Amino acid sequence: MNRVLAIARKELAHILRDRRSLAVAILMPLAMVMLYGAAIDMELRGLSVGLLDQDRSVASRDFGRALSSSGFVKVVERLEDREQVEPGFRQSRFLAAVVIPRGFAEDMASGPEARLQVLVDASDAATAATADNYLKAVVALVASREAELSSAAPFELRTRVWFNPQLRSPDFVVPGLVALILMMICALLTSIAIAREKESGTLEQILTTPVTPLQVILGKVIPYVALGALDAALILLAGRLVFGVPMAGSWWVLAAYCLLFIFIALAVGLLISSRAGSLRVAMIAAIIVTMLPTMILSGFVFPLSSMPWVLRLLCRIMPPTHFLVIIRGIMLKGRLWFPIETTVLVAAGLLLMTAAVRSFRQDLE
Amino acid sequence: MSAAAQPQPAVWARGLTRRFGSFTAVDAIDLDIPPGEVFGFLGANGAGKTTAIRMLCGLLKPSDGEARVAGFRVGAESERLKRRIGYMSQRFSLYGDLSVRENLEFFGGIYGIEGEALGERSDQLLPRLDLVGREEELAASLPLGYQQRLALGCALLHGPAVLFLDEPTGGVDPLARRRFWDLIYEQAAGGVTVFVTTHYMDEAEYCGRVSIMVSGRIVALGSPAELKRESGGGTMQEVFLKVVAP
Amino acid sequence: MMGPTLSMVRKEFLQLRRDRALLFIVLIVPLVQLLVLAYAINNDLHDLRVSVLDEDRSPLSRRLVEAVYATDIFVPGPIPGNSTELEGQLLEGRSDLALRIPPGFSRELLEGAGPDLALIVDGSNSSMAGRGAAYAQAILRGEFARLAEEEMLAAGPGATRLLTVPRFFFNPVLESRIYMVPGIMVMLVTIIAALITGMAVVREKELGTLEQIMVTPLGSLQFVAGKTLPFAIISLIDLSIATLFAMAWFHVPFLGSPGVLLLGVLGYLGVTLGLGLLASAVSNTQQQAMFTVWFYLIFAVLLSGFFFPVENMPEWAQVLTWANPMRFFMNIVRGVLLKGAGLVDLARDLWVLAGMALLTLSAAVASFRKTSA
Repeated sequence: MNRVLAIARKELAHILRDRRSLAVAILMPLAMVMLYGAAIDMELRGLSVGLLDQDRSVASRDFGRALSSSGFVKVVERLEDREQVEPGFRQSRFLAAVVIPRGFAEDMASGPEARLQVLVDASDAATAATADNYLKAVVALVASREAELSSAAPFELRTRVWFNPQLRSPDFVVPGLVALILMMICALLTSIAIAREKESGTLEQILTTPVTPLQVILGKVIPYVALGALDAALILLAGRLVFGVPMAGSWWVLAAYCLLFIFIALAVGLLISSRAGSLRVAMIAAIIVTMLPTMILSGFVFPLSSMPWVLRLLCRIMPPTHFLVIIRGIMLKGRLWFPIETTVLVAAGLLLMTAAVRSFRQDLE
Repeated sequence: MSAAAQPQPAVWARGLTRRFGSFTAVDAIDLDIPPGEVFGFLGANGAGKTTAIRMLCGLLKPSDGEARVAGFRVGAESERLKRRIGYMSQRFSLYGDLSVRENLEFFGGIYGIEGEALGERSDQLLPRLDLVGREEELAASLPLGYQQRLALGCALLHGPAVLFLDEPTGGVDPLARRRFWDLIYEQAAGGVTVFVTTHYMDEAEYCGRVSIMVSGRIVALGSPAELKRESGGGTMQEVFLKVVAP
Repeated sequence: MMGPTLSMVRKEFLQLRRDRALLFIVLIVPLVQLLVLAYAINNDLHDLRVSVLDEDRSPLSRRLVEAVYATDIFVPGPIPGNSTELEGQLLEGRSDLALRIPPGFSRELLEGAGPDLALIVDGSNSSMAGRGAAYAQAILRGEFARLAEEEMLAAGPGATRLLTVPRFFFNPVLESRIYMVPGIMVMLVTIIAALITGMAVVREKELGTLEQIMVTPLGSLQFVAGKTLPFAIISLIDLSIATLFAMAWFHVPFLGSPGVLLLGVLGYLGVTLGLGLLASAVSNTQQQAMFTVWFYLIFAVLLSGFFFPVENMPEWAQVLTWANPMRFFMNIVRGVLLKGAGLVDLARDLWVLAGMALLTLSAAVASFRKTSA
């Protein structure tokens, strides 16, 4: 045990001495939480729109004014001509154009319906669909305000959003960030640590001593567990204190699952470093293997249900996917028990760690 | 041993100094080395030898004093100076993942030798370096003695006037060292000035003149025979120890 | 002038050719990732599980439910027996949305009494919550409009209804992949170009060969050119392959001019490679260089408009994106490929990239002082 601690202490000294790796390990997660938490918003909050009034009547002008002062839509340009729409899209000046056709005032007066044309830059399909729905809703809102009639809909559709009622981005981003950062940092830093020793030959040196490979691994891994735990704590605290991310469940349960995930991330790092021939390859491989899949294949940003079933399968065997369900479940829903996810994570952890240790042993012989 | 025969010293320095903060690594050294001389630059570890060489090569700006190498002023004309010198560092800086020939061609190309000339010069150099038959081997897989000769070759390809060799024989077996020094003599015989640092006192004997640096200053300068006489006999090793640790 | 630079370029290629692992990472991995990610990055919603508690069980309520399931956005979730079960399913994540139709719903509707309909969305899954809710609402309202036309319901108040008729430019089918693939290409190339260049010079520092080069008459400009050209060429190859692949496999259109795209690519490569070199210059170990590049990447990717639309960000964040070359390049790639944008349309973005490239490359050249002061 002493030997393990000696190795751990040396590793810690390495980390503390290299200011840049400290910055990455501590500063970066914090900066990411702050930036991502504050800047990301999946919901469309203000649509940039170009307005083309072909009717030029009192009614159309009133409508245009109501639209721009509705607060949901920003009329960034008043267009003169239909021809201006497409260049506007191409230059990304506005995302949609509302065209009030000639005869609008008459149609409004005579009823039963009047039509507006909504032209949308659909190169970004998701935003386009949202924009379309959005504009429909805004137009209806404006129309009802204009008519000063209580829009007596035949039924009252009460929509409630649970677990994140205002669809606040930090509530959605922070749990995902914990997963992302833990995976990246624990995997990356461990793989670097080991690959670096391999390359400099000091690993060989250590092995001429009575230390066993298992002790080497343990010793190297301990500081990074501590670092990972520290990072997770920092992110969660920042999320809670700065953004008010709720904590509906138990901190202890969350901590336990974080440790499990850290364990998995470390195993990944070990596996990469024992396979990689050089430090350079280990580093690049670690980044690519952890960053992109965790951001994209874990349900962090893109819904799993939207993927083809082949990919969905792939995602379901990835630890970050399940960890995300767990952490969101604990923080936002107050769940305590995750039978499926826990099984998968534990199995993945054991599998990866065994593979890593075996690969490491082979490497050393 | 006077330099009267040649008007222009190959390496000349007056009061060359280099400070790092409050620490003076090289303290006002003077040098006057005629062309074609094999000059040994001795000193204990940390005495300032490498710093001095780096200044003379144009890698480091002097804090004080002046120096001229191959007729060019250190500092102001460093870039032109570099065309006339060759440098071999302690680490035999070669590209391990390139072959012998590829290393030679790379450094030759860097010095502006192109096309056919490059191929010809490499071909001429290989037998003198005893690297014939090993052209396609990767540098990293060569035995240390061969790496050393390859590094020298890379520094020679462009026909420099002055060769700076910083502990070129470190870690190499005695036979390889002897052969290396044969190469050095060959160069000197052709008029190249060789400025070499070494820890091996027997190599000090091979030099025309030798200087010993202690704490940034040159405390002894002369031919091995002169130094031994002044120190009251003995081997170069004894002379060295007497000077460095009196 | 060219000779020494070409020697450097040749050397880099020779070294690269011998580094199998790196070649693999640089050529194969991006393509594999493009394939996987392009299928994964899909903002189109489908297969969202809706649990319906229909306590009315009338033909009307059944019609509403069928309308919801008729699209491929929503699929039936588990059927709850009562309210508690409904809520439990949401809690355990077995359904994404829940619809509760109270008893007596259709009777009250036909009488014009305005009954309540409850739609509950699992907000913890924010990637789909807002839009899922919006779609569900739209479907339900649409179904009501149809019912009204069939005069099954008491006519609403005599106000004129205002309809919107949408027309979608450039992507009538609303396929999100088309938007994402160019973005993925940009991201992958950036990662490779920045990381590899970032470590390129530091490696020579660590090995000692950098010092050897500094002793030669090779100029700073030639050195920088020699280091960046190989990676520029490789990145160009990567991008070309990726573009062809995207067009052939994913049917991403190419409406604009390749010349404009090339201009954008050159500018962007200039900036990225320059940044990689700068990171190299301020680092002493490969690890440090990599961390520096990584730090930049994390924020550049966030503020590029790839994952999260720039439009939605708060003002201060949008301002920050002005300093991000990736954002402009993303704009250029999407503009040329998807919208047929031309030189005039993208002039601003091209100029910005050119300026940034000039800045970073000059800084890189200046940072490689051959003589330390």
